[in-house]
Amino acid sequence: MSLRMIEITPARPGTWAKRNFLPVLSAGLFLWSAVPARAAGTGQGIERQFKITGRPVVVIHNVANGRIEVKSWKNSEVDVVGTQSSNKVGFDIEQVGDRIDVTATILEPGAQPLELEANLQLTVPEETELQLKTETGLIYVEQVMGDMKLESYAGDVHLKEVSGYIIVKTTGGSLVCTQCAGKLDFSSIGGNAQILQPQLNNANLMTTTGNILFDGDFVRTGLYSMKSGKGLVEVRFSSTDSFDLKAQTATGTVDNQASAFLKPDSHGVKHMASKFTHGLFGTVGMGLAKVELSSYSGTIRIMRRD
Amino acid sequence: MQCKDVELVLEQEGLEPLPEEARAHLVECRDCRNYIADLTSLVDAAKKLPSEITPPDRVWISLRAQLEAEGIIRTPADVVPVESASWWQSISAFFRNRVLATAMVGILIAAAAVFQIRSDRATPPLDPLKSVQTSPPLAIQEVPSGEFAGTAQALNEQEPVATGMILASTSPVDASLRDNLKKVNEFIADCERHLKEQPQDELTREYLSAAYQQKAELLSAMIERGRSIN
Repeated sequence: MSLRMIEITPARPGTWAKRNFLPVLSAGLFLWSAVPARAAGTGQGIERQFKITGRPVVVIHNVANGRIEVKSWKNSEVDVVGTQSSNKVGFDIEQVGDRIDVTATILEPGAQPLELEANLQLTVPEETELQLKTETGLIYVEQVMGDMKLESYAGDVHLKEVSGYIIVKTTGGSLVCTQCAGKLDFSSIGGNAQILQPQLNNANLMTTTGNILFDGDFVRTGLYSMKSGKGLVEVRFSSTDSFDLKAQTATGTVDNQASAFLKPDSHGVKHMASKFTHGLFGTVGMGLAKVELSSYSGTIRIMRRD
Repeated sequence: MQCKDVELVLEQEGLEPLPEEARAHLVECRDCRNYIADLTSLVDAAKKLPSEITPPDRVWISLRAQLEAEGIIRTPADVVPVESASWWQSISAFFRNRVLATAMVGILIAAAAVFQIRSDRATPPLDPLKSVQTSPPLAIQEVPSGEFAGTAQALNEQEPVATGMILASTSPVDASLRDNLKKVNEFIADCERHLKEQPQDELTREYLSAAYQQKAELLSAMIERGRSIN
């Protein structure tokens, strides 16, 4: 980038400074805040704040090892704090309108894993959309409302008091979702899913070898599907819940610890398990929500919480 | 001629030349004149637009793979040759860039596996009664073993490529990817064995199909990782 020469005729040094230097400095600062930032330093970090006008979209791609933490505040700003263990990792941070892109990049591919640690701590407005992708290290999101897609290979994902359409995809990482609301899609090969005190009206959970625990209320008219190939699928419902239940396993077992509350389907539809599967069908309360549990070879456990 | 007749003429023959009867109607009908004027201005504006730019084939491939993975579209079997013919023509140019080539391989694995799974699933279900009448009993047992054969073969061919790309890596991420590949392979083998014994177990078939999709995505992720560390 080149700067154009400007002809200046100063009257007095003090006046020149006031009339010309300060506006130039201000413009420079403004432009500096708009261009991508890169930071790389031993044990150092970077902190940037971005003003936003509407609902921001924050995109993070962390190819290094490390934790991503996102919390909310009342300000219309996105605050990004990044720390790295060595100068072999750098951050690219960019604002385009209300979209903030943060990328942690490896500057020396041959570096040792310990040198490639980059942690990101973000504070965002309460209503923010997130798209976070990391390879290992925890993704932690708290008190954020908005659609979010969270992807990780080996890292866990912990969500607390978040709402929106939440998509979590891991290879081996586990999900712990506490007081989540809205719609949740989780898929993993080896990861577990723990859904605690949810207010979800739609949950679609699938893991190949992990376990699934759903401990909380089923929202009326909600749809819930929980599938584990080899793991345990456990549901703890409350006595005030109202749902239709369909539980099936190919070679596993169904452990019904709530038979006193589970009544035959009251809607006139006669369900029958396939002769190749072990199945359990029933209704709790009025059967307003729909709950489908399945496992290939694991155990399906149904129990009352209170 | 009435207004609706003019509309019909426009639909069938376009703006010009209008027949004598239509022109005579226009002289008397202000609404139709305005209608024709609007159409004419639209056509003129459209002609001034730049010609369409065809997106690169890789955009369509990744888009298709994503839509198929999300279950939004299903690939009919007869589409394959047409699609293959179009993107293979430009693939050599695309593969000049090593990074893009690696990414392309990953996308292709995912797309091929998803397509194969969809194709396999699109195969008409076996009617047990009909099969008993027309085929020997052995045929009923052979169907499930071969049902995902195409998918399995495609993925097994790509597996050494994907694992080879992160073979030397000792990072926890790559160890986790390898570990999960092992898990998904074991699960696939388990489901395949079970399906041989219980060919009509639809639940197991669903799990097997999902496991193949996961394997495809995992191999794609390994290739992507390999690209970033190599």
